[in-house]
Amino acid sequence: MSPETRDKEVVKIIEGFGDGVLGNISKNESPKFSVPLRSLNNIKFDRAANLLRLGDKNSSRKFMNIAHAKKFMQSAMIAAKCKELVSKGKTASIRELYYQLKHAIANTKENTFEDQGESDPLIVDLETSLKVLREELHLKADDKGTLIGNIVIEDSGDLIDCSKLGRSGLSVPSIIEHYKFKKVKADYVLVIETAAMFDRLVEEKYPQNNNCIMVSTKGQAARGCRRLVHRINQELKVPIIMFTDGDPWGYYIYSVIKAGSMALAHESERLGTPQTKFVGMTMTDIEEYGLQKVTEKLKDVDKKRISELLQYPWFQNKEWKKELQFMADKGVRIEQQALASKSLEFVAEEYLPEKIKKGKLLP
Amino acid sequence: MADEEIVTKEKNAEELFKEFREVSVTEFFRKNRAHLGYSGQLRSLTTVVHELVTNSLDACEEAGILPEIYFEIRQLGQEHYKFKARDNGPGIPVKHIPKVFATMLAGTKFHRHVQLRGQQGIGVSGVTLFSQMTTGQPITVRTCTGDNKVNEVKLLVDVTKNTAEMVEEKQYSGYWRGTEVEGELKGVAYNTSERGPYEYLRRTAIANPYAEITFVDPEGRKTLFKRTSDKVPKPPTEMKPHPKGLAVDDLLNYAKASESRHVGSFLSSSFARVSSAKVNEMQKLVSFDLNKNPRKLAWAEAEEIIKAFDKMDFMAPSSEGLRPIGENQIKNAVLKILKPEFEVVITRPPKVFSGGVPFQIEVAVAYGGNAGRPVSGENSEEGVTAKAEIMRFANSTPLLFDASGCALTKAVNGVDWKRYGIKDFDNSPLTIFVNLISMYVPYVSAGKQSVAEEEEVIKEIKMALMEAARKFQIYHSRMRREIEKEAKLNTLLKYTTELAPALALITGKDEKKILKDLTHLVKEKLRIEALEDELEDESEEEAKDASFEEGEKE
Repeated sequence: MSPETRDKEVVKIIEGFGDGVLGNISKNESPKFSVPLRSLNNIKFDRAANLLRLGDKNSSRKFMNIAHAKKFMQSAMIAAKCKELVSKGKTASIRELYYQLKHAIANTKENTFEDQGESDPLIVDLETSLKVLREELHLKADDKGTLIGNIVIEDSGDLIDCSKLGRSGLSVPSIIEHYKFKKVKADYVLVIETAAMFDRLVEEKYPQNNNCIMVSTKGQAARGCRRLVHRINQELKVPIIMFTDGDPWGYYIYSVIKAGSMALAHESERLGTPQTKFVGMTMTDIEEYGLQKVTEKLKDVDKKRISELLQYPWFQNKEWKKELQFMADKGVRIEQQALASKSLEFVAEEYLPEKIKKGKLLP
Repeated sequence: MADEEIVTKEKNAEELFKEFREVSVTEFFRKNRAHLGYSGQLRSLTTVVHELVTNSLDACEEAGILPEIYFEIRQLGQEHYKFKARDNGPGIPVKHIPKVFATMLAGTKFHRHVQLRGQQGIGVSGVTLFSQMTTGQPITVRTCTGDNKVNEVKLLVDVTKNTAEMVEEKQYSGYWRGTEVEGELKGVAYNTSERGPYEYLRRTAIANPYAEITFVDPEGRKTLFKRTSDKVPKPPTEMKPHPKGLAVDDLLNYAKASESRHVGSFLSSSFARVSSAKVNEMQKLVSFDLNKNPRKLAWAEAEEIIKAFDKMDFMAPSSEGLRPIGENQIKNAVLKILKPEFEVVITRPPKVFSGGVPFQIEVAVAYGGNAGRPVSGENSEEGVTAKAEIMRFANSTPLLFDASGCALTKAVNGVDWKRYGIKDFDNSPLTIFVNLISMYVPYVSAGKQSVAEEEEVIKEIKMALMEAARKFQIYHSRMRREIEKEAKLNTLLKYTTELAPALALITGKDEKKILKDLTHLVKEKLRIEALEDELEDESEEEAKDASFEEGEKE
């Protein structure tokens, strides 16, 4: 389907949403629309595909419910703005959208939106409710994530050789649907949680020395980054290996890359990369590499997060339960950069090549 | 029969009086100052106001006159005040002036089964004596019975003879009827607290809605409490005691004084609601012959009669002798003086407490407006504008002192106000009005500011307050809901102004029509919600009424 055809479809879908609401009004019922629930009790883990999937539970947004009224109004405003964007063939950032819609409600001191935290989740609501992707609504988020390595990408007619971008690499945009992969030469993609570790490995020429592509998620991976990793894996058949801090937050970032996230469970199919493997940091690394002195004590929030992860169906395999249990028992976490206690080069010259070569990877 | 009884009782009073005369009046007063209400600077002043005002009200009522009362307090110096009290009552015949203003224990009220304000006959003479003891000055009385002859006397209490010492006597002509009393007081203090003269008169005005009261305070500020009713209550009538709740010694006292030939006829003639059929019924319950001479009744036999009384059913005591203020009268007075957002008045049917004494309870609950005691800026907690006040009355007379030991206070505090939606009773703009009506108010002491804890009295007050509180609760939840509804409507209408243009942009339909339809929908939906709530309210109300009555039976 051409983008233009899809745009027309999306406009129709948005109009259908508006007609539904007008239908409610003419039938003397509260204006309403339904949104699939995105909480844990409506998330199913598809073990066979190793992906999170959205269940069929819906919640109803009703304008006459005083707790929903403002969100209902805001959702309609977002829908109206998206229709305008799609019709004009423009794409706005979610921050621009927020500013476009923010104003004082007539005769009050109240704003339509107080901060972007109010509009962002409603965009996801609208996507899932209308079954339309964010980019199809012509919305994008800020660039987040960096890629470096032996891959040539065609972007709007320009060729980008990601091995020739110096130390900075390619800034991964929110929408990468238009990317075309031209040439690739890599044994695997190393996805790294922290920018600092990414920089270290760039300086150590890790991609050149190990024939791999490197991606930094810079914390939790954004959609663009997840979609890019997914496409490289699916379209180019390059394996994905993930490298995070040894704590519940890092492990969760890994699970999002691999199986998808709860908030975007409706898009797991497009964003999750079930073949992803995990290289570190693991709890056994601490003993293996003598890192006992450079661990950090778990805080209460860390402990709480561990017990949450232990409840998630997609962490229910023996390797991960063992890691999390071990972490909880020892009461410590280990950062990627703790490897620098050995030497700056240690991670690039010994830790990663050795673990990857020996296949010491977690599923 | 009734007359004879009073004679007997008066003899007893004479005896009492003889004993009392053996010590000097001043000494008696000094010893009993606190009991007579003359303890503390503020209380002494309030007592003076009380004695003079009740005297005026009683006089007007007995004469069937709509009272107009004027009271003025002026400050002459440190702890030194002058008062002037005037009424439009029947006036006092000159020969009775000494008895009214300078004789202790002269009253006859003490021994009558009649509901009056003053009960122990110490009253106004106490004012004369207090003035005389603190300033050495006589009081001035001007009075005229409407015969164009005004009598003006200055008098002191002759403390050895317990009668008046006339300092000066004048008579002149004047077209006027009523009594005016003027005097000076030392060792007293005026303030506007809830135990001061102003509050006393404000409460008197609420409980005596047919009285018009003018008050001029020491700063010259004049307050007029207008009457809200022009019906003078009927003069009180005498009533026989009711058998329920009589004590053995009460019965024996009555029996000893009886001139009936048989216990049976003694019972039916001395007590209310005891018919000859009831006497026959009783004969089956007692072990001795009711044809016995009542003056020879033994303690054990009297006990049997009391037990039989307890087992038997009698008609409720007649409320004839009781004079409630009346629901409408209280309501009008409360509305006028407190201007509340909500008020409810409950009058309970007459009951008896121990001794066969009939009594009746009237309560009012007022919320919002000027109800409660206003909180001054400094001491106020956030959002608290008034504190709850309890207005206690005995026979329409305000009780301002000794609140903590009073049965009326205990009854009010014994109600679980939280159950009725009043979360913080003390910090609510509430006025709780409680009037205990009885021929004999069971005061804790002669200070007459505190009612003894009679179980039946407390129970009745609580019943009345609970009934009032339920009505308040319905109002209160309705109000709260209305406020919520209003807020909800405003919120929805506010968002409607943004929702309509968004929908117009999406659908391409006319924005004005969408706005109109949406506004209509919101208003209609809320109107239906409100109607549903009201229906729910009514069914709840019925359910509560049912459970309340069950509770009462237990």
